[in-house]
Amino acid sequence: MMVSASRGAIISRILAAIFGCYAFVWGVVALGVAALHGAGVEYHAAEQAMMMLAFLLYLGLFLWTFAAASVRRVWLVLAVGSAVMLAAAWQLQRMIIG
Amino acid sequence: MSNAGLWLLAAAASMWLATGWLALSLPAHWRQVFVANEVAPGYLRPLGWLALGVSVLCCFKADHPSMAVLVWFTLLPVAAVATAMTLSYRPALLRVVCPVFLRAR
Amino acid sequence: MLNSFRQSMAWVHTWFGLVLGFVLMVAFFFGALSVFDREIDRWAIPETRFEPQPMPSYDNLLKQVFADLKPHPLDMAATAERVIGDLPAPETMPMVGLFAYTTHRDPVLRIGAEFAIPNKPIDPKDDHLHVHGWATIDPRTGAALPDDQLKIGSNWFYPMHYSLQVHWKNIGVFVVGLAALVMLVALVTGVIMHRKLFKEFFTFRPKKRTQRSTLDLHNMTGVVALPFHFFFAFTGLVIFASFYYFPVSGTLLKPLHDRHEVIEAEHTGLPHDEAGVPAELASVDAMVAEAKRIWAERDMAGEVGLLMIEHLGDANGYVSIYRAGSDRVALVGEGIHFKASTGEVLREEPPSDPVGAVNEFLTGLHLQHFEHWTLRWLYVAGGLLGCICIATGFVFFVEKRKQEHAKRRLQGCRLVDAMAVTTVTGMVLAAVAMLVANRLLPDAMPGRGDWEKWTFWGVWLLSLLHALWRSAPVAQARSNPAWREQCWALALACVAAVLLNWLTTGDHLLKTMLLEPYWAVAGVDLSLLACALVSVFTARRLARTVEVKQASRIGGVAYE
Repeated sequence: MMVSASRGAIISRILAAIFGCYAFVWGVVALGVAALHGAGVEYHAAEQAMMMLAFLLYLGLFLWTFAAASVRRVWLVLAVGSAVMLAAAWQLQRMIIG
Repeated sequence: MSNAGLWLLAAAASMWLATGWLALSLPAHWRQVFVANEVAPGYLRPLGWLALGVSVLCCFKADHPSMAVLVWFTLLPVAAVATAMTLSYRPALLRVVCPVFLRAR
Repeated sequence: MLNSFRQSMAWVHTWFGLVLGFVLMVAFFFGALSVFDREIDRWAIPETRFEPQPMPSYDNLLKQVFADLKPHPLDMAATAERVIGDLPAPETMPMVGLFAYTTHRDPVLRIGAEFAIPNKPIDPKDDHLHVHGWATIDPRTGAALPDDQLKIGSNWFYPMHYSLQVHWKNIGVFVVGLAALVMLVALVTGVIMHRKLFKEFFTFRPKKRTQRSTLDLHNMTGVVALPFHFFFAFTGLVIFASFYYFPVSGTLLKPLHDRHEVIEAEHTGLPHDEAGVPAELASVDAMVAEAKRIWAERDMAGEVGLLMIEHLGDANGYVSIYRAGSDRVALVGEGIHFKASTGEVLREEPPSDPVGAVNEFLTGLHLQHFEHWTLRWLYVAGGLLGCICIATGFVFFVEKRKQEHAKRRLQGCRLVDAMAVTTVTGMVLAAVAMLVANRLLPDAMPGRGDWEKWTFWGVWLLSLLHALWRSAPVAQARSNPAWREQCWALALACVAAVLLNWLTTGDHLLKTMLLEPYWAVAGVDLSLLACALVSVFTARRLARTVEVKQASRIGGVAYE
């Protein structure tokens, strides 16, 4: 089996797939729940909906991590994306509670 | 046997027929079972899909819709594996699924 | 990552499948056993071999049972570490909440209670200031089952499948969660890799060389049950999502969540806190009768599955009665709440919104509280197909690389093969050995359950050592004799378990199938015998393959 990626790159992808995607999905879930609830959806319904979406998203992101050409771009999207979404969720919560 | 039990039996039977017909519609398996005839009749595949549909209906007659769905999706692998094993070890047994009058072109 | 998309996906499938496959074997096998967890409990605890009982009368039986229930020493010790000062004597702790739980498959009743303590917490954010008590009781008499009778089905095999019994920081739950995610990944990448999905749907060529026939079986068991495998991994993740995997409501969004809880309490009329005013408890039996009447009116007649009382003895107390949801998949409670002091209906749970309904269907699909014996057996079949898929994956991995590793003097294949033996035959052997120990250990032995657990782990470890010890031939591109040796051991253990059940309880198969039918125990015995048959068949087939291979080398030429 021809492996045209270095060992470091493979480890990087594995970490991105497991932990990087996890952080990103955490961001999506937090922001999703806050946004849905802010838009009027009942809290538990918002939570349940995001939980179901979360794993389908995680699955897609996981595959993308290994399919993407550049592992650097993958890390950029995952790290920046999760940070931005978590911060946005926090901010949105503050606005809702007032 | 209760009403539901009979419908479940019917569902299993039509599922078994469905997997048999669908398997036989594949050239490699047709040749495994009927060495003489080369080509499987063209209507075996639609017949197989029809039998799948019948098994869905039987499942819904047997149980609450939510359970019927699960029964159908779990009957399918069991029937498929049974058909596959029959093809691997006793292919001649599958001739009963396709009697002479069905074999005519 | 690699030269092409398909190659990258194949890499992911192979390596993530291999590493997490060992965890997935445990999840799938013990998951399959958990379908009949309560029946395995009956086999392991002969005192409970009677018919399933409905929820008994609260006024006439449970009231006294709860009056006798004490805080559990284990929870006392655990709580003492979280609070300032000493805990008061257990007899003085007031009971402030209780529950009783049963299903259509349970002869025995599980009960639990919360006791209030005056102590302050060490961590100011810790708001769980109760000590718990629990017990399993015979609902016909109210007598409690001895505490150290381990429920091998529901309290060992079942938690094994979602937590690997590794409880430190819930690491086991997270490892199983990762494995479940990897299962989804393996299914999708498998489909991407498998070019002839429909053409080879029914293909199994046992007479071809091992690598080909193993791959055929791996593909077939993976594809025909794909919806089953996908949905079980997915729903398992969803069940634990909000508590373990994405606990947003307890962390980042806790303020939003707590605000909602308070608003919800006002909206539902179910008091969140105590009033501080004592009050008597009205007739709970009357409330149960009323709940059943309301359910019947809604065309959902049923038995009580869960009975809960909050703020016991207080004016704000309420009784919640949930239906045992056994006629449909969705885990609906149809909860009805009553004011504890008067018995008037406070709230009837409304039907769920669409999201809630979907969630209830998905969780109900996995947790299986429905009454449908055919579907249960189909679930076991699906679970075993999953096990075959993973096991053949291991065998294929080793077969594909054996020759090359032998040439290059590598030990990788040997190690993987030994681990495969441990997680296939070894794991089943450990489970059956536990049942054998259950019948061999003296009845009144203190800490009996712990001895059974040690047997389980000990046998599993022994099987690993045996597999490693016998694995040298794999490094020479031959097969590990440990496979068939453990198959023989397994067959012996299965037969021993059935015989011991007969000898120690008198419940032999003729009795449990025909004379005084008790299908819970008969089912376990029959499954053990079926397992023994499969093991013997497998052991003999493996021996024949070795003979053929050795014979075919006699002429100096190896025919494959």
